[in-house]
Amino acid sequence: MTRSRANTRPAQKKLKILVLGGTGFIGPHQVQHAVDRGHTITLFNRGKTNADLFPKLEKVFGDRTLPTAYDSLKGRQWDIVIDNGAQVPSWVREAGAALNNSASKYVFVSTLSTYVNRRAIGIQENGEQHKPAAPDATQQNAQYGPLKVRCEMEARAAWGDRALILRPGLIVGPGDLTDRFSYWPVRIERGGEVLAPGTPDDPVAFVDVRDLTEFSVRACENNLTGDYNCVGPKSTLTIAEMLYGIKAVTTSDARFTWVHADFVAEKRLRPYTDLPVWMPPRGDNAGWARMDCSKAINAGLTFRALADTAKATLDYYHQQPPERQATLKAGLAPEKEKETLAAWRASGQK
Amino acid sequence: MSLNRRTFLKSSALVGGALGLGGFPSLAHSAPALNDDGVDAAALVEHPHPQKKLSILILGGTGFIGPNQVRYALDRGHDVTLFNRGQTNPGLFPKVKKLIGDRNAADGHKALRGKKFDVVIDNPTTLPQWVKGAGEALKGNVGHYLFVSTISVFSSYPSPLDENGPLHEPGDMNVAPDQARVGNNYGRLKVRSEMEAKTQFGENVTIVRPGLIVGPGDLTDRFSYWPIRIEQGGEILAPGSPNDPTQYVDARDLSEWIVRLAETKTLGTFNATGPKSPTNMAELLYGIKAVTTSNAKFTWVDAEFLAANQVRAWSEMPVWVAPRGGNAFMLQTNCGKAWAAGLTFRPLALTAKDTLDWYHTRPAAEQEKAAAGIAPDKEKTVLAAWNTRKVGGAK
Repeated sequence: MTRSRANTRPAQKKLKILVLGGTGFIGPHQVQHAVDRGHTITLFNRGKTNADLFPKLEKVFGDRTLPTAYDSLKGRQWDIVIDNGAQVPSWVREAGAALNNSASKYVFVSTLSTYVNRRAIGIQENGEQHKPAAPDATQQNAQYGPLKVRCEMEARAAWGDRALILRPGLIVGPGDLTDRFSYWPVRIERGGEVLAPGTPDDPVAFVDVRDLTEFSVRACENNLTGDYNCVGPKSTLTIAEMLYGIKAVTTSDARFTWVHADFVAEKRLRPYTDLPVWMPPRGDNAGWARMDCSKAINAGLTFRALADTAKATLDYYHQQPPERQATLKAGLAPEKEKETLAAWRASGQK
Repeated sequence: MSLNRRTFLKSSALVGGALGLGGFPSLAHSAPALNDDGVDAAALVEHPHPQKKLSILILGGTGFIGPNQVRYALDRGHDVTLFNRGQTNPGLFPKVKKLIGDRNAADGHKALRGKKFDVVIDNPTTLPQWVKGAGEALKGNVGHYLFVSTISVFSSYPSPLDENGPLHEPGDMNVAPDQARVGNNYGRLKVRSEMEAKTQFGENVTIVRPGLIVGPGDLTDRFSYWPIRIEQGGEILAPGSPNDPTQYVDARDLSEWIVRLAETKTLGTFNATGPKSPTNMAELLYGIKAVTTSNAKFTWVDAEFLAANQVRAWSEMPVWVAPRGGNAFMLQTNCGKAWAAGLTFRPLALTAKDTLDWYHTRPAAEQEKAAAGIAPDKEKTVLAAWNTRKVGGAK
C-alpha cells in the first residue's frame, strides 16, 4: 500500500528555490511544502494575486510581460527555479535567458495536453506531441497544448538537460478555481438524483494538487531531470468508484443515474466541462484516463486517498464567500441536469 | 483557508476526521487521516447537551457498543454505573462506579437490589431470564428500561419491514445458557426478552432493534472484513450485483442515539439501522476503497454462482445477503421511526477509516485470524472459476 504522507522528515539538504508564480492554485501548496521541508524560498511575481500569502518569505516583484521583468533578480543565485505559471513560450525563453546562470536547474510545470491525442492506452513520456505553437504565440492565437509544447522546447533550449518537465493531468483539490473536480463533491453533498456520465466502469484520472506539489519538491531534492507524466491514482479508478468514494465523505442522500455517453453527446453536454473529470473512453480519448505514470511513481510521486481529496475540496469550497459558492465554474447547472435526467428517462434507455 | 473548521463542521454533514475517543491511536501503516485537527466526529450533527443529568445504569458496558455509550453519557454529564461480571476489559473506565454480578448465576443481579436509577440500558441480554433477573432486582427503582434487541427478531423479510413486521415465535423463558445461539434461538430469545421487558417494566420500556453493528471495536469482523480486504488490494470477490441493498449501523451512532433516547425518555420500539438513504454494495465497497490508497479491483460474482460454489452470504461475504426469498428485504428494513426519533449517521468514510485504524491496533495474531470473510485461498479459487466461466461465454 502506498504511503500517502511520504515526506514527513525534513530534507537532508536545504535548497534555495526561486518560485515563479507561486500564488495561484498549485503554487501555495508547493511553497508551503517546501518551507515545511526546510528549504529557502524566494517568490517572484507581480504582487497582485493573493499578495498577503506567505508574509515571512522573501518576495521579489516583476511583471513577466515586460522586458525589464527579471531585472530585480540579477546577480542572485538559487539552486532551482520552479516555473508554475508560464503558458506563453516567450516567458519561458526570457526566464531562461535571464536566469540560467543564476540556478543549476529549472522545473517547468507543463501538461498532459501536450500529447497530440490520447488514443493509445498507457502513453509514456515519449508519446507524440502537438506541433509546437510559434515561438511568439500567445493564448490569443494558439491552443493550450501547442503553446505548452513550445514552452517545453524553450525550457530545453535554455536549460538543456538541467530541465525537469512535469506533465500533470487534471489537478484537483483545495484551492482549485476551475471547479473541474469540485463540482462532484459539491453536487453529491447537495443530494438527490445526480446525473452520472457514461458507464460506471469508465476510468477517470486526476492528481491532488498536494500530491503533485509534494512530488515537485521531492523531485528537486532528488535532483530529477527529464519529462514526467503526473496523474493518478496509481491503479485504475472507475467513475463509479470516484462518485461513491466522494459520497462516502458525506451523509448525503445522493443517488446516481448513469446516462450513456451517446445520449450525453446528443444533448450536447461537454465531457470534462459540463460533466467534469469524465471523458468517454473512446476514439482519440480512449486512453485519456490511462496514461502511463510509472516513471513518476517510481521517482516518488504518491497519491492521497480519494476521501482525503474529496473532504479537503469540500472544506475549501465551504470556506469560500457565498457568491463564489453559488457559481461553480464547471459542471451542469441544476436546471440543465434536471432537464437532461427527465429527457433520459423519457427516452426509455437504461 | 482560514475559516474556523469547527464552526464549519458543526453546520455541515461531512466527515469529522480523527477519532475523538481515546485508546485507538492511528498507526503509520494505516490509511491517511481524513483531516488533522482532531475534531470529534460527534460534531457532525449537533446534539445539544441535555438540561437534566441522569443516573444511568448500563448492563454490560465493556463490550462493543457499551463503551461508546459510557463515553458519550459521561461527556454529556450523566452519572454512569456499570453492572457486569468484571471479566471483559475490566481496566476500562477506572473512575466509573461498578457493580459486579453474573447474570447466569442464581440471584446474579443481587448487587442491583435497592439501587435507584433514572435509566437502565441493557446491552448484552441474550436470555430472557436476564431481563427477569434485572427487573426483579430493580423493581420500583427505575424510571426507564432501554433494551437492545435485534432486527433478527423478525421471522422473515418479505418486504421493507417496519416495527410491526412478523416476529419469530418467542423462545423458551428457561432456555439453558449454552442453547442461546443454537438454530434461530438468538432471534426467538430476543423476542421473548422483549416481552419480558414489558412484563417487568410495563410502559416505561424502549426496545431498540439494531441491524448489523459495525465500526471500531467490533470483534466479529463482519464489517471489518471489507476495509481490511480492500486495503490489501488486488482482485476482490464482490458479492452479487453492485445494486444489491445493504444496511449497517456504526456502533457509535447507535450508542449515542440510545443515550439520547434516555435523555428524552423516548418510549416504544425502533428498528435501528442505516444509513438514511438506501445504499448498495457498490456504494459500500467503493466508499471504503476511497479511504485507502489500495489498487483494489472488484469482480462482481452473481449470487447463484456464489451459492453453487458454497460461498456463504453474510459470514463469508459480510454485510451482504442475496436479496431474494425470505431475505429479499433483510437489508432494507424501514427505520424511519428511529430516524424521526433522532438516530443520525456518520459518513461511511469515517466508519471505514476508524475501523481500519482500530483493526491495525489489534494484536498481530488477532489480525491474522479474521472472524468473518472468505478465506484468501477460497476467494482466489472462486474468482478463478468465475473468470474462466466468463471467458467461456456462460455469462
